Amino acid sequence: MELLVLVWRNLTARLTRSTFTWLGIAVATASMVLFLSFGEGLRHALAAEMGNMGPQIRVVAEGTDAFSPPLPELPPQMFDQIKQLAPELGIKKVIPAVVMFRGGFDPASSFLFYGLPPGADPRDFYPKAQVAAGRIDPHPNGAVVGSKKAELNHLTMGRELRLSREVKLPVVGVLKPAGSMLDSFIFVPLRTLQKVLGTKNYGVFLVQLDPDAKPEEVAQKLEAAIPGIDAQSTTEALKFAERAMRIGDLIRFGISLVALVVGGLLVANTVMMSVYERTREFGVMRAIGARRRFIFGLVLSEALFLALAGGISGVIAGYVGSALINLYTQHAVGLALSAVTPRLVFFSMGIALALGLIAGLIPARNASRIPVTEALGRI
Amino acid sequence: MLRAEHLSKHYRQGEATITALADFTYDFPPGATAVVGPSGSGKTTLLNLLAGFDRPSAGSVELAAAKLETLDEDGRADVRLRHAGFVFQSWNLLPTLTALENVSFPLLLAGVGRSERNQRALALLEKMGLAARADHRPNQLSGGEQQRVAIARALALEPAVLFADEPTGNLDSAAGAQVLDLLLEHASGERRLVLVTHDLQIAARAQRVLHLRDGRLTKIEEL
Ligand SMILES: Nc1ncnc2c1ncn2[C@@H]1O[C@H](COP(=O)(O)OP(=O)(O)OP(=O)(O)O)[C@@H](O)[C@H]1O
Ligand SMILES: [Mg+2]
Repeated sequence: MELLVLVWRNLTARLTRSTFTWLGIAVATASMVLFLSFGEGLRHALAAEMGNMGPQIRVVAEGTDAFSPPLPELPPQMFDQIKQLAPELGIKKVIPAVVMFRGGFDPASSFLFYGLPPGADPRDFYPKAQVAAGRIDPHPNGAVVGSKKAELNHLTMGRELRLSREVKLPVVGVLKPAGSMLDSFIFVPLRTLQKVLGTKNYGVFLVQLDPDAKPEEVAQKLEAAIPGIDAQSTTEALKFAERAMRIGDLIRFGISLVALVVGGLLVANTVMMSVYERTREFGVMRAIGARRRFIFGLVLSEALFLALAGGISGVIAGYVGSALINLYTQHAVGLALSAVTPRLVFFSMGIALALGLIAGLIPARNASRIPVTEALGRI
Repeated sequence: MLRAEHLSKHYRQGEATITALADFTYDFPPGATAVVGPSGSGKTTLLNLLAGFDRPSAGSVELAAAKLETLDEDGRADVRLRHAGFVFQSWNLLPTLTALENVSFPLLLAGVGRSERNQRALALLEKMGLAARADHRPNQLSGGEQQRVAIARALALEPAVLFADEPTGNLDSAAGAQVLDLLLEHASGERRLVLVTHDLQIAARAQRVLHLRDGRLTKIEEL
């Protein structure tokens, strides 16, 4: 019968109340784990994505926001301008491309087409891209499909892919799974996509550099030399995305904080009630010879125990939830978007325990300060 | 040793001051001392001060060589743990613990190891005739059994002084007599029992009776 037994006995003596409190903390912790697991998952996906990317600089029309596909707003002469600057800036290769997005409500009805010029193929995006069937180059007149897209829409070799009412292309290649966005892309010849969009413009220039060129510097010089463009290096984009991700983390943490505060209040309420009900008990303990610190520790341990039990169950529930989400996103886009990392587990447990500590301090202080005579007098 | 000198306790109630105990001086000899008096005469107040539950308005208490007024809350708790035992009228036991765990509670506070704790607690329960009840919770015990567990617990650290406030108040005469016998049995040799009661028949079992009235010690009766 040590302190822990006393704690356990008291919590189980008020089983319903303790159970609800435990569940409250578990739900709060699970929601926090789940919310934050998105950030962790996206971070991993993004890092993998950027690591796999070929071109070091993306040039788009000024004002294009980072998260939507670029519109074809770059006139052909800009391509020549960049070409002219190439030797001076250390640019090895410029690939003009067009992007077309057909959005649907779910991944199966969404299509992201990349139009590539002759001589370019998916490996210019993702150097590690490999074909599972057919060929990797969509030219002169075919479509190369990412593995997830092929699976979701049953795009096997030779199937017709309709880009518009008039334009159809046969599937000439299916890529191997890469575990990145590549799995959801469809590559087609540039001319075909331009025809579908009714334009001679480009949407994006993918710029590859000589080994000793510095991407940030080149991007700056390009922006200075050609008005009306945004040039962004991969590392810059990564930094930008990381910043956005951090803001997202904060927002998600803020939301889950509401649940956590409610959980904390639950613990405080449970412990406070139980302290009030046990005033006489504490009186007896003090009469027998328990020090104030003993009562304080006893009550605080109860709060911490509830928080610990709730925290552990919450992390486990969050882990299961995250796995379920991944099951879906894996199926839908081929990416695990949610990750319960060790640091997330430590963080969540830390928050849950801190909550228990804060929620337990005041009741514990109160309990240890009731005068003995008053405690004994209350029956 | 148990000695009180010029012990007083006043309670302020708004404008008025209630004197619950006034200038109580007495050196308790070994053996059983009963404290009697009508309701409100200050019996419980006296016991609270002797045990260091409360601070007196004036005067001093010496309990087992410790001057209580020189000690803080925790210091007085330590003195109680080592040198005093308590049996109250009711609601003595910790309700979530078994009889055995209740008896070993003071031993836990005193830092006695687990197996020795259980051994000693069980021996005490045996002495109270409650070995078969060791694993019962208080609400599974009769009032008399509860009081006997409380006595076992009070004796756990072999205290020099045993305090009892109306220990038989809630019991029928048979159970009451049993509890009283056990308490008196302990008040032998150098040990002391302070027995608060308003029942003169019970008081008559002690070696002496202190009479309180309106917070004053009015008579000391040697039996
Ligand atoms: N906390 C308090 N505040 C104010 N007055 C108090 C307080 N405690 C006791 N008193 C008063 O002090 C006096 C003595 O009370 P005490 O409890 O010592 O009496 P008692 O002899 O134990 O009575 P009983 O036989 O009914 O238990 C009473 O008048 C009581 O009202
Ligand atoms: Mg009384």
